[in-house]
Amino acid sequence: MIPASFDYVRPESVDEALEALTDAGEDAKIIAGGQSLMPLLRMRLAMPDTLIDLDRLDSLRDVRDDGDAIVIGALATHHRVLRDPLVRAHAPLLVRATAKVADPAVRHRGTFGGALAHADPASDLPAVAVALDAELLARSARGERRIPAADFFVDWMTSALEPDELLTGIRVPKPGEGWGVHYEKFHRTAQAWAIVGVACAVRRDDGRVGDARVALTNMGPVPVRCRAVEEALAGGAAIRDAAELAAEGTEPPSDLDGSAEYRTHLAAVLTARALAAAAAV
Amino acid sequence: MTDRLEGWEKVTGAARYAYEYPLENVAYLAAVQATVARGEILAVDAEAALGMPGVLAVLSGGNAPRLAPVDDGELAVLQSRRVAYRGQFVAAVIAETPETAAEAARHVRVEYAPEAADVLLRADHEGLYAPEKVNGGFPADTESGDPDAAFAASAVRVDATYTTPAEHNNPMEPHTTVALWEDDGTLVLYDSNQGPSAVQSTLAEVFGLEPAQVRVISEHVGGGFGSKGTPRPNVVLAAMAARVTGRPVKFAVPRRQMWATTGYRTPTIQRVRLGAGLDGRLDAVIHEVVAQTSAVREFAEQAAVPARMMYRAANRRTRHRIVRLDVPSPSWMRAPGETPGMFALESAMDELAVLTGVDPVELRVRNDAPEDPESGLPFSSRNLVACLREGAARFGWDARDPRPGVRREGRTLLGTGVAAATYPASTRPGEAVARAEPDGTFTVRVAAADIGTGARTALAVIAADALKTDLGKVRMEIGDSRLPRAVVAGGSAGTSSWGTAVVRACEALLVRLNGEIPPEGVEARASTADEVRSRQKYARHAFGAHFAEVAVDLDTGEVRVPRMLGVFAAGRIINPKAARSQFVGGMTMGIGMALLEESIMDEAFGDHVNRDLAQYHVPTCADIRKIDAVWVPEADPHLNPMGAKGIGEIGIVGAAAAIANAVHHATGARFRDLPITPARVLAEL
Ligand SMILES: Cc1cc2nc3c(=O)[nH]c(=O)nc-3n(C[C@H](O)[C@H](O)[C@H](O)COP(=O)(O)OP(=O)(O)OC[C@H]3O[C@@H](n4cnc5c(N)ncnc54)[C@H](O)[C@@H]3O)c2cc1C
Repeated sequence: MIPASFDYVRPESVDEALEALTDAGEDAKIIAGGQSLMPLLRMRLAMPDTLIDLDRLDSLRDVRDDGDAIVIGALATHHRVLRDPLVRAHAPLLVRATAKVADPAVRHRGTFGGALAHADPASDLPAVAVALDAELLARSARGERRIPAADFFVDWMTSALEPDELLTGIRVPKPGEGWGVHYEKFHRTAQAWAIVGVACAVRRDDGRVGDARVALTNMGPVPVRCRAVEEALAGGAAIRDAAELAAEGTEPPSDLDGSAEYRTHLAAVLTARALAAAAAV
Repeated sequence: MTDRLEGWEKVTGAARYAYEYPLENVAYLAAVQATVARGEILAVDAEAALGMPGVLAVLSGGNAPRLAPVDDGELAVLQSRRVAYRGQFVAAVIAETPETAAEAARHVRVEYAPEAADVLLRADHEGLYAPEKVNGGFPADTESGDPDAAFAASAVRVDATYTTPAEHNNPMEPHTTVALWEDDGTLVLYDSNQGPSAVQSTLAEVFGLEPAQVRVISEHVGGGFGSKGTPRPNVVLAAMAARVTGRPVKFAVPRRQMWATTGYRTPTIQRVRLGAGLDGRLDAVIHEVVAQTSAVREFAEQAAVPARMMYRAANRRTRHRIVRLDVPSPSWMRAPGETPGMFALESAMDELAVLTGVDPVELRVRNDAPEDPESGLPFSSRNLVACLREGAARFGWDARDPRPGVRREGRTLLGTGVAAATYPASTRPGEAVARAEPDGTFTVRVAAADIGTGARTALAVIAADALKTDLGKVRMEIGDSRLPRAVVAGGSAGTSSWGTAVVRACEALLVRLNGEIPPEGVEARASTADEVRSRQKYARHAFGAHFAEVAVDLDTGEVRVPRMLGVFAAGRIINPKAARSQFVGGMTMGIGMALLEESIMDEAFGDHVNRDLAQYHVPTCADIRKIDAVWVPEADPHLNPMGAKGIGEIGIVGAAAAIANAVHHATGARFRDLPITPARVLAEL
């Protein structure tokens, strides 16, 4: 369980990092908190020639107010996200989900940006980004672009980032008043990955759920936005009936923790729970 | 309530584990594993690996030192072209750094002539045979009365088949060896094991040495759960590598390589038949076990052995059949035999309770055996009934509504279950030395192993008692084969065996002391061989009872254990603090067995697929809610001078059955195949 050898660079600024990325080419790998990358290196599933360590880029750790949105630095750790007053005020769903990520040790090292860039369908936070219509801020020597979360996750462990691009921050729109949120995670043990997870935010309208945003973890190669559920709720369907549509259009995997059929069943059950919990707030 | 003597060293990182011994000029080993499950090695191409800077040697069948054959074929490392299972060590790279060794190991190319492999255990396998003995030295089969006729004539009959999957021990510290050969030909091993004396004698045999030429140091060991009870291929490989390179060699088996090379609990298929009267009194007990072993080592899990002594019944048959498959060698895992066996027997008892309408606690009380049913020997002490009664009172069992599937809170079904536990109370021969030092302190030496159980502390408590002195005056020296010879930490016989020798050495020392202690100190040695062999014949066993409450989610099938209680009768408890940890740890492992643990065999590749702790689930602290272990007072004069029975294993025995029985009580569905996964439960709801 020892990584293969690699060159190591630790840029002091974002520009230096971008330069290093451009120089190193396709076989470089960025390391942030290392909580996903280190296991891959140790199992030699990833064998980059160069490792670019973002540890010194303190400017990417902060959370700032950006008017109608907050911008969370890509290097903000899960621990930081849990405690940040802006995140708590404007992205409570992210707080709920982050609290369910791994354990305190991992949360102190792992970063929000890393969790998204890694694009693991079993990871809890991509579904949150998708549910919240977040935008991912990517920078390269060529310039900057904003990628909607829905377009960011391309395939299993594959993001829309180009090899020379750095994820610098995540822009999360402020939802406004009246939203209830919940992240429902189903796993075998307290620290295990989600077999299925449901991220949702709902706004009550006249005592009824009207607006809803729902996305699923681990129901396919990328996080899935449950438009069918959202539309049914908007059309006045009861939570239980709307939740039945949760697995529509998903391609759940079959693995040791659950078959595709079991996951399909879970998606409906957990979506109903998540919606009910969120609506109760 | 004594704190662990070496606790401070452990939490500050000062305690040295095998890998951490600083040695000059050390080299590192990485092992290459077979990629076929059965076949012949045609060629090993080490050229690319040898060409890498920093690579010192590549060992394989062609150039490895020849070893003396020993009973355990797992130790014939690199001695044959045959591949007995996927993952078997077939080559090793020794290099200047661990990174280089690991990288070079990837470049060793092994060519095989693969053969069709047979890796799945089946109850109707044509290769099943009766082993001469099962683990523990017991006969494979026993029979008394006419069990078939008695079963057929019984008013109430349970006939059910239970299965348990392969389970892996996974101690926190992997199997690790640092090997070096001294100029005088002595082999020194810093090794993570459950008994330095055993490693010493086995390695001496393997390398054709006198035992005195092998020194094994294992001062601190990060767990074993049986998997370090016998030396594993890693020790032999490291010693070979050190000989070939002339350098000290370090080898810590990576977690993923442990799955194939360091042992596991065999899967079992167990048919249990219970024949009883309407009042639940047993007339026939038939327990038949099918398990697997490997092509290179016979290991026969003694799962039907507890059925020989657990309950009174005039007619009884127990039977073990095993089959040699092309799989890694199964071995000891916490309470081998009792753990899977009591899952089956205690599940069947619960089924009998349901059929007869007799309360499950009462049913066990009714069938309590006044003497050992098979041998007729008296029990040295048997307090199963006391455990059941005490547990029932503490758990609030009396108010239990026996009807299954009727306690519903929202979308959750609640249920409670009980199961009995047992484990042999053995004491084995050994030696110890006690010294009085001129400064008024004492040094006590025995080649015991503290694998995290608190053995060192328990022995110090025993010695201080025997010496009638303060604990602070006693220095325990353990974990070194140069110390007086000792049995392994296994079979829950460590403390009882080592403790007996310690007490006798201390007593002998006290006799020798009179007044001033000379500058060279005073020393006394004891051997307990005669004492242990001449003990009166008794059936010696510890007993216990588990009570579990489960909550079953109607929508997901998830089972949670909000509450669990274990009550044990295990003789005198020497250090309550550490003892409670052993019991609770065993029970927690039982929860894992009931609900989570399962190594899944891939039939096509002949490999366990979930070879890491991200995919092989064990409960975390956050999964364990209210859990407690207590014990009933038990004074047993027929055991050893401490009056102690072993406590390391009984905590897991029966725990899974208590949970499965509670799941039945909650849902009305009987789960006879472990683990009880959410998807399996959901299918029955
Ligand atoms: C024991 C354990 C349990 C875990 N359990 C969970 C869980 O329950 N739920 C869950 O969601 N996650 C879980 N995780 C994963 C953890 O949340 C992620 O590993 C972590 O958040 C990823 O962030 P990181 O900073 O560690 O990324 P790294 O490991 O450093 O990087 C991950 C990937 O992202 C890329 N990357 C990182 N930062 C950037 C950037 N700024 N720009 C471009 N690319 C970048 C890296 O190149 C790499 O490919 C667990 C991890 C561990 C070790």
